[in-house]
Amino acid sequence: MRRIGFSTGAIARGDFHSALAIMQQHNLDVVELSALRVGELRPLVEAIPGLDLTGFHFVSIHAPSRFAPDEEADVLGLLRPLADRGFHIVVHPDTIFNATRWRLLGDRLLIENMDKRKPIGRTAMELREFFVALPEARFCFDIGHARQVDPSMTEAALLLNAFHDRLAEVHMSEVNTASRHDPLSTNAVMAFRSIMAAIPEDVPIILETLIDQGQSDIQTEIHRVNEVFGAVAA
Amino acid sequence: MSSPPVKLSHLDRLAGRLGSSWQSIRKAQSETQNRRLELTSQFAQHGSPDTSLVVFGSIAREEVTSGSDLDWILLIDGQSVPEHKDQEREIERRLIERKFIAPGSSGVFGRMVGSHDLVHNIGGEDDFNSNTTRRVLLLLESHPVGNRDAYERVRRQIVRRYLCDDRGLTHSGSDVRIPRFLLNDLTRYWRTVTVDFVYKQRADNDNKWALRNAKLRMSRKLIFAAGLTHVFFCHLDPAAEQARAELKTKQDVSLLTAYLSEQLAMPPLETMAKACNELNIGNEVVGKIFDNYDRFLGILDDTSKRDELAKATTHAHLRDSAAWREIREVSTPFQEGLVALFLGSSDELKDLTMKYGVF
Repeated sequence: MRRIGFSTGAIARGDFHSALAIMQQHNLDVVELSALRVGELRPLVEAIPGLDLTGFHFVSIHAPSRFAPDEEADVLGLLRPLADRGFHIVVHPDTIFNATRWRLLGDRLLIENMDKRKPIGRTAMELREFFVALPEARFCFDIGHARQVDPSMTEAALLLNAFHDRLAEVHMSEVNTASRHDPLSTNAVMAFRSIMAAIPEDVPIILETLIDQGQSDIQTEIHRVNEVFGAVAA
Repeated sequence: MSSPPVKLSHLDRLAGRLGSSWQSIRKAQSETQNRRLELTSQFAQHGSPDTSLVVFGSIAREEVTSGSDLDWILLIDGQSVPEHKDQEREIERRLIERKFIAPGSSGVFGRMVGSHDLVHNIGGEDDFNSNTTRRVLLLLESHPVGNRDAYERVRRQIVRRYLCDDRGLTHSGSDVRIPRFLLNDLTRYWRTVTVDFVYKQRADNDNKWALRNAKLRMSRKLIFAAGLTHVFFCHLDPAAEQARAELKTKQDVSLLTAYLSEQLAMPPLETMAKACNELNIGNEVVGKIFDNYDRFLGILDDTSKRDELAKATTHAHLRDSAAWREIREVSTPFQEGLVALFLGSSDELKDLTMKYGVF
């Protein structure tokens, strides 16, 4: 049985309380708490002790996707206590300015492969240097990013091949030409299927498909993920 | 601080072994770099992630000589917008301004081309000559200028289609896994080129007959030989070992797609040099292939000889043409060298050629 959940930002942007409540109604047991904008991080950190996370067997936190080098120490100062408490911290490689600082997060640090807008971290070759600098870090595989970079899914296979020992979380969505995370299309389902065998069953799947404006709904997206894994007919 | 070791190309290693300088090949490589730099200066900022300017022919093979023209397409892999036509015109205008020789009048090159037909129409009645030509040359002799995103994506998609649709590749009971769908299309293309040569002879009233024939005997044949080498090396190359294992154990073509995409990025002479090095092909065979190709490039780079070939259209012209005699002098041993390489010098390659390349 695959463990499937959502990013809070996909369900209710900037409102993790509402997102968690919705997910609990659907009995989802994995979640990523999103603080994609740097201004969202401190409120999230301060709110976590009061959040009802019962029922969630896996909780990760998505670090801000963009901040200046001189903000790195502050961001890490907020993230490190969360890592010490056992939360996985997902980061974009282009926000790692000083790798030595990030080593403090040990194996709680998950490095994510990037979409085509970013100049680094998109391919196995580009990502390898980050894991050399951060040997304990683990891998958050964004399958939508990998498909956007290479729709043949070859790069996706190369990423899984290179970092399968580190794989700790999967992000799933349709990443459109403008690099926005859309609900899963039939084409995406078929493309993702081609490499799903390489993803162990116990690795949590976090949906990043934006449904906060009614673009889709939780049941539909979960069904699509099950189509990807062949649990239901497409 | 010591400088990093210089990585020798396969061609360098082969030249070192034979003590050959292959001056015309070296000159053509150098001219290629100059021409690519000029194109990059013109088009470095060109394109978007959805479009790539792709050049073909001698500049892609690293064989630019004084009379080389420039075949190009604006490859589109994304949303269609009317501005693509403006882009096409702008490329054409800038190339004319920089005195690049325009592509021929066939309409295969010098225009925008969408990725859809290239990826989807492999075989079948919609796979027109022009589509086959662009697709196969995109694999065997192409080079992106400026933004290469669309180019890389489309090439991988094409390679993957050849591999994914080849059921024998993933489900064969044999230990030998040759991408036959790709092999057959490369062979089909080569035979089409040879048939179209005769068609053009009639349609174009023998215009440029000798020059076309010379290219057919040498550069066209070289890229077919390089294509065959790529296909057979999927089985022979130790670097593809993991890719082969994934075909057998997981029925997954991803690693072979990555391997082939990387190999296809090599110029054809480099591909042939790799084969000669890795299969320990003897000096006599190597000399027949590379010495004669070197002479061929020397002939093409000589303006008077090239002009003579371009004008030789009748039997009388050919009989009196010293340049045509030279072409025959190099093309015959070049052919013998290729035959010896594929059907004599290496038992493994011979077996593969006989089993997969003939019937």
